[in-house]
Amino acid sequence: MEMIIGGAFQGKSTYAEKYYPEIRWSLGSSVSEDELYRAEGILGFHEFIRREMRAGKDVKGLAGKLIEKNPDVILVSDEVGYGVVPVDSFDRAYREAVGRICTELASFSTRVTRVVCGIGTVIKHA
Amino acid sequence: MLTLVTGGSGSGKSAFAEDRILSFGEAKRIYIATMYPFDEESHKRIARHRAMRAGKGFETKECYTGLANIMLPEDCTVLLECMSNLTANEMFQQDGAHENTVEAIIRGVRHLCAQARHTVIVTNEIFSEAASYEGDTVLYQNYLGEINCRIAEMAEEVVEVVYGIPVYHKKKMTDHKGGAEK
Repeated sequence: MEMIIGGAFQGKSTYAEKYYPEIRWSLGSSVSEDELYRAEGILGFHEFIRREMRAGKDVKGLAGKLIEKNPDVILVSDEVGYGVVPVDSFDRAYREAVGRICTELASFSTRVTRVVCGIGTVIKHA
Repeated sequence: MLTLVTGGSGSGKSAFAEDRILSFGEAKRIYIATMYPFDEESHKRIARHRAMRAGKGFETKECYTGLANIMLPEDCTVLLECMSNLTANEMFQQDGAHENTVEAIIRGVRHLCAQARHTVIVTNEIFSEAASYEGDTVLYQNYLGEINCRIAEMAEEVVEVVYGIPVYHKKKMTDHKGGAEK
């Protein structure tokens, strides 16, 4: 598993598509759970987490399931935890869930790249 | 030695900070808890952190305001979690330091460093987002930002934890362990 993370609009997807030109990408904003477990790469993975939570689903086991069923997937995800604690309780829960899930996935990943202004810095290479 | 641990929400700062304290070896370990339990969510959060610390030999001391008055045993290691709560407490609680929050907290941090062998302070990055705030919230960002900068200046180590991965912004040259080198 590999991850490409960073703030919104930092050129993560462009970076990912350039770095992995052969990968077929699915979108976190539209992919189904089944497709998620078969996908080669996911752009906007955080969108999937948000959709699941909006649908009232428990996302606690999501990282574990993804590691078990799709250990070679490449995930591109926004970092969403660098702001003031949101007033809205859903936003708070979502922000924390993205953090916890991505922390678990990063611990499993062989490579984690952080993209700022389109420039990737590898922060983990196991 | 002073270590400042920062990062976003849910990014594994606490786990990293606890490991850092354990890496200092046997010592009297003090955990300074700053979250005031005012609702169910904070109770849950506190319970989660207690479970994480269980079995690691920490003695917990609550400190909601007045860090400079805390008494510590000699030659201990201290984990303070977290600066974002302490700052809010000092600003908004009745017995807080209010407009003198920054100075009160920096005095408190110096007081910890003078007593403890190693001090690890967990803080928070709350400064990068699209939403703009006004009034108390901006003042809170302003105070916490200034506190983070002042502590980072005093610290030997400044570590940003990104999804569990330590990214060092400042570190002693003799101690190279993981993370992006700066």
